[in-house]
Amino acid sequence: MGELLRSLVSSVLDAAPPLIFAALGATLSERSGVVNVGVEGMMRAGAFVAAVAALAMPTPLAVVVGMAAGALVASVHAVLTIRLRCDQVVSGMAINLVMLALGTFLLEALFSSPSSTPPITQLPGWAGHPVTTWLAFALPVLVHLALTRTAWGLRVRAAGEKPQAVAVMGVRVGWLRAGAVLASGALAGLGGAVLSTATLDRFEHHMPTGLGFMAVAAMVFGRWTPLGATAAAVFFAFGDALRISLGSSAPGLMPQGVLLALPYLLTLVVLAVSGQRSAAPAALGVAWDPEVR
Amino acid sequence: MRERLRAMVPSVVPIVLSLVGCFLAVVVLRGWSVAFDAFGAMFAGAFGDWPKFVDQGNAGLVLRPLGEAGNKAAILTLTGLSVAVAFRVGLFNIGAQGQLTVGALAAAVVGAKVDLPAVVHLPLCLLAAAVAGAGWAALPAVLKTTRGVHEVISTIMMNWIAVSLVENWLVVGPLKASASGVNSISGTDQIAASAELPRLFEGGSRLNAGLVLAVLAALVVWAFFGRLTRGFGWRVVGLNPEAARAAGVEVGQVVVQAMLVAGALAGVAGAVLVLGTEQKYPTTLGAPYGFDGIAMALLGQGDALGVLVTSLVFGALRAGGTRLQLFGVHKSFPELIQGFALLLVAARLVWERLARRLLPDREPKHG
Repeated sequence: MGELLRSLVSSVLDAAPPLIFAALGATLSERSGVVNVGVEGMMRAGAFVAAVAALAMPTPLAVVVGMAAGALVASVHAVLTIRLRCDQVVSGMAINLVMLALGTFLLEALFSSPSSTPPITQLPGWAGHPVTTWLAFALPVLVHLALTRTAWGLRVRAAGEKPQAVAVMGVRVGWLRAGAVLASGALAGLGGAVLSTATLDRFEHHMPTGLGFMAVAAMVFGRWTPLGATAAAVFFAFGDALRISLGSSAPGLMPQGVLLALPYLLTLVVLAVSGQRSAAPAALGVAWDPEVR
Repeated sequence: MRERLRAMVPSVVPIVLSLVGCFLAVVVLRGWSVAFDAFGAMFAGAFGDWPKFVDQGNAGLVLRPLGEAGNKAAILTLTGLSVAVAFRVGLFNIGAQGQLTVGALAAAVVGAKVDLPAVVHLPLCLLAAAVAGAGWAALPAVLKTTRGVHEVISTIMMNWIAVSLVENWLVVGPLKASASGVNSISGTDQIAASAELPRLFEGGSRLNAGLVLAVLAALVVWAFFGRLTRGFGWRVVGLNPEAARAAGVEVGQVVVQAMLVAGALAGVAGAVLVLGTEQKYPTTLGAPYGFDGIAMALLGQGDALGVLVTSLVFGALRAGGTRLQLFGVHKSFPELIQGFALLLVAARLVWERLARRLLPDREPKHG
């Protein structure tokens, strides 16, 4: 039993970080009032770019480049939703579709391979786990403090709840939201980069395999708070680790597909019980137009 | 006429820009000559190799590609309509993917496990798929009207629940093809011949009746929103729910009904995929047709006939995409073109401004 628990904890420590980073990213963006269902695409950008960059530079640096790629993709989302006031869900889904196809296209075009990039040196570890694992425990606290204890955090939250109030203070809602969206993209990019440089040692064509959507689920499950989203991400990762170990130790106990569906089912149940309006930021999804108040 | 042209600018300009941009991307990576050859092959695979046909008189050179294009276009049209119908009442149906998945499975099961004459079997399969898709859409609709849960979040969840349950459990578990199956044993059992969507032509083309179904669906949706009072009521719900409520429209009911219709359309799309091309539920559906529906709905500006036209264009390009492999370009390249076009079309404001500048009103408005 102790053995099983230890291996479970170990696999959670490996599986949770990408989800935690992406869920934190989604939370930041949505707390500022911008829906971000493009997390999946931003993660894919981070995963691909980090794996490619690591061919030419030290892996830790490549992870930073991956984050920049995530932020770059997020900047498209920011321009479309904030400057051009597009539908935020449309923009996010468009980003997902583009990144899905672009990743496959570049993989084929640059490496003549339909499946993966060449292997790279993985991220260095500390105490048996990649450094990013330990970062994944520190970052949620930092984001929580930034959102609740700093003037910037107060403004970001206000931009998501009542942007008029922020505008009246003389702070520009658009720039505030753009900052949150860019940070969100960088975090999603980091999550993706962890997949291709720490979890594995290459970019694979299916990455991130829906993890971005699961991060959105974790954010909703965690009621749009950094610590809640992190807890949900750890919970989902734990469920997944349990699924994998049960699958090998007691096959047939519960079909894999049913277990795979559980996190999403639970999120639905939580939403159904609590209702969404109570937790989501009030101005979420509403474009800020200074001329229409 | 001028109005209509102006209305098309926000769709046409992004598609053309995206085509040009993606062409340049291939030029950068593979050089001019390969890019020209690759695009030539893609268009020949999409719309038929007309020059060669005129040369050799072999009708198959044109009919075969057009058939493949039509088959792909049928599925895109149906998922596009699914998203567009929901759009019209102000809902975002991201769940077309999940609805399509359960619809495809329902069609595959009824197609394989039930033994009936074709006159009843095929309609029964389509009905099963429509019911399954509508059922999958019902929960998000009810959660929306009773609990205020945003349909974007709930349909995302329903998508992954559907894919996990169907592809990671049912298709590899209880519904896995029996080992004595005819060809391969991946996916579910082969459907009976009586459940297959009939081919429209003998020989050259593999075009099946799915396209007829899709065109009919597009016409019905178009007529509903454009010609019927009830359709007008639905549109008002989408444009201004408060006004609709004040006018006595049961907004909650309309939301649920529209979502059921959207689910049914996506479910039928799944059925067309299974009964027309796959003949069973394969291990995985391959392309994210449900998400493509979002692109079709937006590029078609939520209009049923617009959806049909864009689906025909992208169905053709995607049929042509398979020929790109020879040039070192992945066959999903047309999806990249489609994705960029969607990204560009999202910036409506820009194109509407452009349309007004390109096609200004003839008479000045004030004296």
